[in-house]
Amino acid sequence: MSCNRYRDAIHELVDGTLGPVRRAELQTHLDVCPECVALVADLQKIRDAAATLDPVQPRDHVWMQIAGRLRQEGRVTVAAPSRHRHLAVFAMAAALVLAIAGSLYVLRLTDTPPPTNTATTENPGATTPVSNDATARGNAVSSDAVQSITDDLAAADQHYQSAISKLQDIAKASGGSLDPDTAAVIDENHKIIDQAIAESRNALQSAPQSAPAQHSLFEALSQKVTLLQSTIALMNEMRKGNSAGAAQLVDRAKKS
Amino acid sequence: MALLERCRRGELGAFEEIYRAHSGRLYGLVLRMVGNPADAEDLLQEIFLSAHRKLDGFRGESALGTWLYRLATNQCLDHLRSKSARAGQLTDALDDEPAMADGRSRGIADETVARMDLERALAQLPEGCRAAFLLYDVEGLEHREVADALGIAEGTSKSQVHKARLKLRALLGGRTQA
Repeated sequence: MSCNRYRDAIHELVDGTLGPVRRAELQTHLDVCPECVALVADLQKIRDAAATLDPVQPRDHVWMQIAGRLRQEGRVTVAAPSRHRHLAVFAMAAALVLAIAGSLYVLRLTDTPPPTNTATTENPGATTPVSNDATARGNAVSSDAVQSITDDLAAADQHYQSAISKLQDIAKASGGSLDPDTAAVIDENHKIIDQAIAESRNALQSAPQSAPAQHSLFEALSQKVTLLQSTIALMNEMRKGNSAGAAQLVDRAKKS
Repeated sequence: MALLERCRRGELGAFEEIYRAHSGRLYGLVLRMVGNPADAEDLLQEIFLSAHRKLDGFRGESALGTWLYRLATNQCLDHLRSKSARAGQLTDALDDEPAMADGRSRGIADETVARMDLERALAQLPEGCRAAFLLYDVEGLEHREVADALGIAEGTSKSQVHKARLKLRALLGGRTQA
């Protein structure tokens, strides 16, 4: 029964909160009581094991559901993103830039027209007329083919421009849900693509039927459409507070 | 307090910062209290929703973390009580008389206690002393904070933690606790 007197002192010893006077008194008891010595050792083991129980991270959807409920209840407003989300979205936008800039870089490696395609303007004696100068040299069949290609290209270009214009209107109307830094990264992305479009147009002016130049132009136009679509989708996800959805968009952009 | 003010103004991003800072510890506590990940996730949602609704009433007398622990333990204990009530069982949230070591109790044979063994033993504790143990020995709160979180006296917090440790010792030592 005497052990009961030392019950609290033993726990406080394990906690490291036992004062010196009571500690000395307890030590006197421990010197003659192997049961209480064993108890101290076991409680220390339990304390040590408890310290190894780490926090457990809940799955991502828990926050999404909380945010959704708060929005449903009208308790939160769409506001500037938190620093955590701000950085996450900034990284997403940067990943988008890398994915698109990377693909354009590959295109640029391949869009240099082969020498034979442009040689005719400088070499009137060439047997394969491929430029507009061919019409002046009386090759009617080639001229028709060239005109047909040029018309098709113009129609496709117009189609893309129309789509781009509409998407730009939507993006403008959705503006404000991205923070300035993220918007700046996406603007930079657009500049890269616009430059690729301009360079491709210049190449096509001098060689309208250059396959690499055509490919480069339409690939750049397609990228422009994709970027606008991704930007709009990103804006929508951020407005909804759906960071996971935004991350999925970037993953898809990286894989495309 | 700037973060809380932003939350009160309805800024979702500010509340997400609070969630990111506290959800791991709270989820660990809740999961160990209820023992079921699906229930724990539901409860975690309710805890944070409740916290958001009650933000206006939080005056900062205690730390935000302690206040959240209080909401969490209340939610857990309510959940466990209603679950027990549905099952027709009676449980004591707090045990009145801490068990004392006796000469016949078998000690812990191993040099250390494995984390998983402790997790299993924790699940068998009465919910009141389990909550006190988790808050004090796992989460590292002071007894006055545990008392605040559980709405009990500081002395009761001590006795509940001591009770939990002795029961754990018995469970880990293989002796059937009376």
